[in-house]
Amino acid sequence: MESFRLIHKWRRALWQIPAIIMVAGALALSSNNLRKESLPLVGDWSAAASLTTVSGEYLDISIDEAARLFREQAAVFMDARSAADYEKGHIQGALSLPWQDVDRLFFSATAGVPPDMPIITYCDGETCNLSHDLAIFLRDMGFENVKVLVNGWTIWKNTNLPVD
Amino acid sequence: MKAYGIRMKRIEVSENKRTWLSQTNLLPACRLFLGGIFIYASLDKIFKPGLFAEVVYNYQILPDVLVNLMALVLPWLELVLGLMLVAGFWLPGAVLLSTLLLLIFSGSLIFNMVRGININCGCFSTEPSTDPITWWTVMRDASFLIPAFYLLLANRTEKTAGE
Repeated sequence: MESFRLIHKWRRALWQIPAIIMVAGALALSSNNLRKESLPLVGDWSAAASLTTVSGEYLDISIDEAARLFREQAAVFMDARSAADYEKGHIQGALSLPWQDVDRLFFSATAGVPPDMPIITYCDGETCNLSHDLAIFLRDMGFENVKVLVNGWTIWKNTNLPVD
Repeated sequence: MKAYGIRMKRIEVSENKRTWLSQTNLLPACRLFLGGIFIYASLDKIFKPGLFAEVVYNYQILPDVLVNLMALVLPWLELVLGLMLVAGFWLPGAVLLSTLLLLIFSGSLIFNMVRGININCGCFSTEPSTDPITWWTVMRDASFLIPAFYLLLANRTEKTAGE
């Protein structure tokens, strides 16, 4: 009798396991659809994409979204370019944190920024990686919500948003 | 008469002890422990699928096209399994599948330890650099197999409703 019961239980596991996986899959896909920044089902993990940043698509923010956060003053903008480029012109209210001096300037630049404050890093040019590197660094340093505005300075100027 | 009463009490105590060890408490305790571990492990990943996809990618085990799908489904699978273990629902399937998952997790950790890939465990948190894999991580994850195997083996003789 004992062995009969055992076989019976395993037989139930045979349909329960696919059913559990399907329930989890349905929950995962529907919650991903409801999410504001849903993850593409097939991601671009090619070498080129991973060179740009370890999680390029996840970090990127659109100019519309960045402009909205700017108007609501809900985010801090961080200029990853050199101090000289920053002096020539930058997004209004942006802080300067040049990537090449990040070790020296990190604490003074981020002193007044609470860790849960959204930060948007930017530099100039489609292929500029400074803002990505800075964003990953800031995230590693404990800032929870860091985004990259790709080609930020050019796009910002072209959209006629406020500059300093 | 008095001595008889004491004797009876002693028998009751030893009987309680026996049931405590064999069935009534240890099985649910293992289910709750394992279920709790799975639920706790799932939450951070569910809220940060993008970061968890990085973790999955860094393991360098799955082909690229499956990375995001795994990053989306695996945390929910952990949550569903955890809830089922806690609730005692569909136990044969839930116990077997969580044991398989734990074997896969431990195997993936050992695989990457042996080939020397320096990655983040991503077991309980998706944050980079919080939990780099070490042999200690392997031991920790493998130790969860103890309650899992116990449930798997003890489940054979557990009486379930309707049988």
